[in-house]
Amino acid sequence: MILFSVSLALLSAGILCLALLRHKPRWAENVFLVFLTLGCGSAFISAVDTLIRQESFVDRLPWSLPWGEVTIGIDFVSALFLLAVTLLCFLAGVYGIGYLRNGEHQQDIAGHFCLYLVFLMSLMLVVTARNAVLFLLAWEGMSVSSYFLITYHDGNEEVRQAGLLYLIAAHIGTLCLWVMFILLGTQAGSMDFGRMSAAQFPLMLAGVVFVLGTIGFGVKAGFIPLHIWLPHAHPAAPSHVSAVLSGVMIKMGIYGIIRLIMMVKHFPPWCPAVLTAIGIVSGVGGVLYALGQHEIKKLLAYHSIENIGIIALGLGIGLWGQLNQYHTIAVIGYAGALLHVFNHAMFKGLLFLSAGSVIRQTHTGEIDHLGGLLKYLPWTGALFLIGSLAICGLPLFNGFISEWLVYRALFEGVFSFPMEPVILIGLAIIALALIGGLALMCFTKAFGTVFLGQARSQHAADLKENSAPMIAPMAVLAGVCVWIGIFPQTMVSFCLQGAMRILPTATNTADMANILRPVQWMVLSLFVLIGISIFLVLFRRMAMKNMSVAKSGTWGCGYAAASPRMQYTASSFASPIVELFREVLCLRRAKARPQQIFPEKVLVASEVIDASEHFFWRRIYRLMQEVCGRMKSIQCGYAQIYVLYIFIFLFLILIWKVT
Amino acid sequence: MLPIFSHILFVLALSPLLLGVIGKTKAFFAGRWGPPLLQPWYDIAKLFRKGVVYSTTTSWVFKLTPVVVMATALASCIFVPWGSIAPPVYFWGDALLFIYLYGLMRFFLIIGALDTGSSFEGMGASREAAFSCLSEIVLFMDFILLVMVSKSLVLCNMLNTGFFSSWLSMGPVLVLVAVSFFLVMLVENSRIPIDDPNTHLELTMIHEVMVLDHSGYDLGLILWGSYIKLFVLGSVLVSLFVPAHLSPLTGVTFFLCGMGVLGITIGVVESVMARLRLNRVPHLLIGAFVLATLGFIVILLKGA
Repeated sequence: MILFSVSLALLSAGILCLALLRHKPRWAENVFLVFLTLGCGSAFISAVDTLIRQESFVDRLPWSLPWGEVTIGIDFVSALFLLAVTLLCFLAGVYGIGYLRNGEHQQDIAGHFCLYLVFLMSLMLVVTARNAVLFLLAWEGMSVSSYFLITYHDGNEEVRQAGLLYLIAAHIGTLCLWVMFILLGTQAGSMDFGRMSAAQFPLMLAGVVFVLGTIGFGVKAGFIPLHIWLPHAHPAAPSHVSAVLSGVMIKMGIYGIIRLIMMVKHFPPWCPAVLTAIGIVSGVGGVLYALGQHEIKKLLAYHSIENIGIIALGLGIGLWGQLNQYHTIAVIGYAGALLHVFNHAMFKGLLFLSAGSVIRQTHTGEIDHLGGLLKYLPWTGALFLIGSLAICGLPLFNGFISEWLVYRALFEGVFSFPMEPVILIGLAIIALALIGGLALMCFTKAFGTVFLGQARSQHAADLKENSAPMIAPMAVLAGVCVWIGIFPQTMVSFCLQGAMRILPTATNTADMANILRPVQWMVLSLFVLIGISIFLVLFRRMAMKNMSVAKSGTWGCGYAAASPRMQYTASSFASPIVELFREVLCLRRAKARPQQIFPEKVLVASEVIDASEHFFWRRIYRLMQEVCGRMKSIQCGYAQIYVLYIFIFLFLILIWKVT
Repeated sequence: MLPIFSHILFVLALSPLLLGVIGKTKAFFAGRWGPPLLQPWYDIAKLFRKGVVYSTTTSWVFKLTPVVVMATALASCIFVPWGSIAPPVYFWGDALLFIYLYGLMRFFLIIGALDTGSSFEGMGASREAAFSCLSEIVLFMDFILLVMVSKSLVLCNMLNTGFFSSWLSMGPVLVLVAVSFFLVMLVENSRIPIDDPNTHLELTMIHEVMVLDHSGYDLGLILWGSYIKLFVLGSVLVSLFVPAHLSPLTGVTFFLCGMGVLGITIGVVESVMARLRLNRVPHLLIGAFVLATLGFIVILLKGA
């Protein structure tokens, strides 16, 4: 705990230093690196310490806020989140130094780093706050500082728009959270989380709180249909910021929901169904929209929604198990969700960072304009491949382990639960399978089009690989992905312990050994896979020795004049599925057919439209604009009239008081 | 360690034979003698002796593909029982690893195809990715049914525990599982009516397109890998019909006969049907999904 306080103090010192160093960008880089390393390092150690020693801390700092005091605590769940926050923020920060060097806006760089530390500190406070007021303050700090991080390239109109959309969405969410915490606080008689967990909440209130929490935290997490800020904000932000936004910030929504479950404990029976349904819709919707995207960061942003959906499925089945007294299922479901939170931070961070290093070199994120980059950016390409394999949930990588846990909980739910939930759980399994298949399609599309084949533009030959300070953080993330994929026991047992802490009743540890045993067998089978691969590679090398190996062009089916632009594009690759789901995806096409003997301009363009944004939120926005426009006539600009308004208002209050 | 080796050797040796049986059946229907039963073996042996040609466009991904295809195919077989011979490795939840190993195989086949930069192979890859999304949900629906019947997540238990009792009580469900799984198996292995593996280039649409640029040793590995995939998926289907608690010898004989019948069935289907139009394939898969979902409804109503 002392270490964590030291880390907070270090970060505050860093923020101060950077605020003073506004006009010395070179210095700012070094100062930022030092404080980032120290701050993240000490917080990381305190998190690991909590996980290993299995002790949780609560500390009250001698400074009182209105309605409470500054209470900070690290328990198992906080520690797991803290682990992801510190690891990813540190690596993305190091990457960011290289990423922003020699770019535009050099004069703002110290301010950017300063805000990055503010953001990091508020993230750390969000997961450790044990008082609702402190939590909401940290939450607000996180929203506002991330707004400034997103709008780093604020010369661009689109970036400003995206930032504004994010800010509005974040505050709608915060509004719901205020109401939720006030409801909880009045019932418990205190804004302290400890008191709230001890309090009893009537089922009706629990339902209301659950809805408010799902909306408030869901906006941050990106549940469909509350997700609309995500696909705009992620591409607008610099890549290291998008990595942190997608990797850890949206997980704060998940953290909030878990904390809510830990505090309220008893929910009406429809709550897990709602959570599962949200998981299905967000998961399948996110990956379908991703398939229709042609911009790499927008594609990754939609995949964040998909992964949030998977996490929500884990939480949903966990809550179902908790409410129906199936503790094993609850533990596995929660553990799957917790592990997926960590895993997603790792592989999505890796993917955003490697997408960033493509964008930094090629100055475009349009997938269909790239190609063949594996030859020019070998490290970035290989690391992107590892990230893709992990996000598709394929064996040997970490995504598989967490999806396996979620699947396991769902399958056990199928044959243990009564009939009504089984229908939805069966649907959830099918959805998870569909998500897996579609994610595989989406990432073979992204990796294949960007990194494989031939370059689609002329100046690819001038590209060089990025510098080591940018590659190293990605390599570490990839290493963690493979480590969890091959040796999952450590993280799985941490997550199982975390999941047990979410449950209100204690579960016996024999249960945990039972859950862990298949994981050990899985490791064995993965080693069989690795062993066979190594054998085949060696055998191949031996067999190839006395064989002729020739080089030639790709077989063009007899057509001799193939050009790189004739390669299969990402949009054509995705089209079978996009066509199949065209009603859901609102596929729009623009076509100019060839006309006359010598056609001049031929064009095909396709675009996938986000239904909830275009048909729901924009309509609401227009309605609000209309209503507010009518109200504008009240604002006439004469001070006398305003005084009259005040008078009328006071008069009305008087009448109300008198009657 | 030894059981794993013997399991792998078993599948390595027998998987090309299944293709031989299919070939013989098709030849019988066409009124020919057809290639010998061991022809797939000869093909592989020939490919392993040949030199390799690599496209200048390709990278290490292309060379890694055959290795991954073969390794995942072999690794998947260690969870499948051969008749009464239990699989060497089984654990709670291995059915999921089994399915996802094929996902890994597919991922590499697709990026291997995209690595050549050929638009023709891109088409094949795109179709493979699209159809397998649909076939995967059918597969999972089948697995849900098997899990509900057997109350287990261990693949070998899902396939043959309490054979007679489960067929007696859940017969209709198991028939639906078998039919839809058969369709999935055809799709996953790109057989008629989804794709015709025998024509090259002009009419083949999916699997053979993706491996068009592979040659020699690499092509041999991929071919053998796909034989193994057909054999392993086929053995999952056949295991549904193998009674439990047979003596080892009878069990294996029963299983091998079952595989023979499966080969003949595939051969008959391929002889009497033409390849479907490509845009009809999703309809077939959705049909299979509906069948499996019917089974789900039956189980729910019976209150298993």
